[in-house]
Amino acid sequence: MIHFYHVTKQFDAFSTALHDVTFHIDKGEFVFLTGPSGAGKSTLLKLILRQIRPTEGQIVVNGRNLNAMKRSQIPPFRREIGMVFQDFKLIERMTVFENLSFILTVLGIPPKEHKKRAYGVLRAVNLSHRMNYYPLQLSGGEQQRVAIARALINDPLMLIADEPTGNLDPDLAEEIIQIFSDANLRGSTVLLATHDRDLIQRSNRRVIALDRGSIIEEKRAVTEAAPVRSDSVFVNWS
Amino acid sequence: MTREFLSDRDEKRIPSNTLAWFFREALRRIWVSKRSSSVAVGMIAISLLIVGSFLLVAENLERAVTRAQGRSRVNVYLVSDATPAQISAVDAWLQAHGDFAAHHFVSREEALRRFSSYFTNLNGLVGQLEGNPFPPSFDCDVSSSVVQSPAFVREAAALRRISGVDDVQFDWEWVGRLQRIVQIVDLAGLIAGGILALAAAFTIANVIRLTMMLHREDIDIMRLVGASERIIRGPFLIEGLLQGVIGSAVALALLFAAFESLQHFIPPANSLLWSFLFTGFLSWEKIAALAAGGMMAGFFGSWLSVRATSEEPA
Repeated sequence: MIHFYHVTKQFDAFSTALHDVTFHIDKGEFVFLTGPSGAGKSTLLKLILRQIRPTEGQIVVNGRNLNAMKRSQIPPFRREIGMVFQDFKLIERMTVFENLSFILTVLGIPPKEHKKRAYGVLRAVNLSHRMNYYPLQLSGGEQQRVAIARALINDPLMLIADEPTGNLDPDLAEEIIQIFSDANLRGSTVLLATHDRDLIQRSNRRVIALDRGSIIEEKRAVTEAAPVRSDSVFVNWS
Repeated sequence: MTREFLSDRDEKRIPSNTLAWFFREALRRIWVSKRSSSVAVGMIAISLLIVGSFLLVAENLERAVTRAQGRSRVNVYLVSDATPAQISAVDAWLQAHGDFAAHHFVSREEALRRFSSYFTNLNGLVGQLEGNPFPPSFDCDVSSSVVQSPAFVREAAALRRISGVDDVQFDWEWVGRLQRIVQIVDLAGLIAGGILALAAAFTIANVIRLTMMLHREDIDIMRLVGASERIIRGPFLIEGLLQGVIGSAVALALLFAAFESLQHFIPPANSLLWSFLFTGFLSWEKIAALAAGGMMAGFFGSWLSVRATSEEPA
């Protein structure tokens, strides 16, 4: 699903964010990406989302070579990915519902279905009572969960999250990891960037550890990966 | 339910619910930036009001031309002291020439009465005159099909030579001049309107650019979650279009209000001028053209700013 071949990303001559990174994530896998601050986790996620391009190497995601991707192909590609950003990236002038509804509009889902789906996915992150709130009226943890709900609403092929539990208390963090696990069980490939070692140890999943732009460790999970889904299906969130 | 991602090809067709979203977003943005939107709407309205005024005058002049062309008139002015014998001779000549058969004698008294009724505000001046300055004349209604024929021109020249005839004036000479005035008014309106519409379009472009800058962060987020450029730019294009529509509506309403007010407040003393310039409001075609012009200016303005927005790096 995600293939990095000798990928290097340099922002300038003196700062190399990633250096000769090679790894492969199969369909249906649940992988933790870990490492200290500045290790290159966010850069790696930006490369997958095609926000930036590698200086060297090749990236293939869901059969598409991102280096050769045309500008017009980027939006449909991104719609296959549910992304949870570290800074949430919610549209502040839209309510929680409108933030979710916008994704469905982008996907061409009829408006009459929006409320049902938004309610379902918000219920999953315990935020159904905040549907008509604006992001700035919510706490950091609640905004985090809205961002997760937005990533989940179209039941993406890939779920990528940058520190999704960073603003949450341990109990809520567990719940959120459970939501990601459920998505993984339904067939979504999950890549979760975190520096929470306890969380990683408890989860018993494959881990890719980065430090100063290079992979320093790759640990396989003891348990088997979730089955690969043959066909993409929407989850009935209602 | 099967997942239905929009493919590249599908994106070329915008679903109706997306169009509805474009309109909702555009209206919301207009409402949020009321002040700058009002400036854009005002610019469009002023431009179209000026164009509309020119069109209104030109259209009424055109109507006058059409009316005059329908019944071309020849005025045969006699000398002031024309004798009854001279008058009878001219009358007989007109009777004998078929093209002038429909004629009517206007005595000096009737000419004075006509002048007084047309220009009632000048009645005081007429009262101060020692005598009647108007000569007797014949009004001849001539078929519009024959007025410009060489034979007719020859007959008119012969008429001028008859004893007691002072001058022969053709209606279509001033009709021709009026037509040229109409053309000049039309052209002036188009030039002034074109320049102003362009200025309005650039104002809208700047307003939209400002709105886009205000929503810069939202646009970046929309791109990150997979919104296509069409979906991002659509509401801005609709915003410009709506500003154009509102501007046109305001301009037409103001023009109509001004037209109606003038009809009520212009004194009857100027009724000749009034009947000439303000017989009716703009035709539906011209109203539609003005509205379309406003929409186009709005759309063009927003297209200019949207086109300049940077896209996703290739």
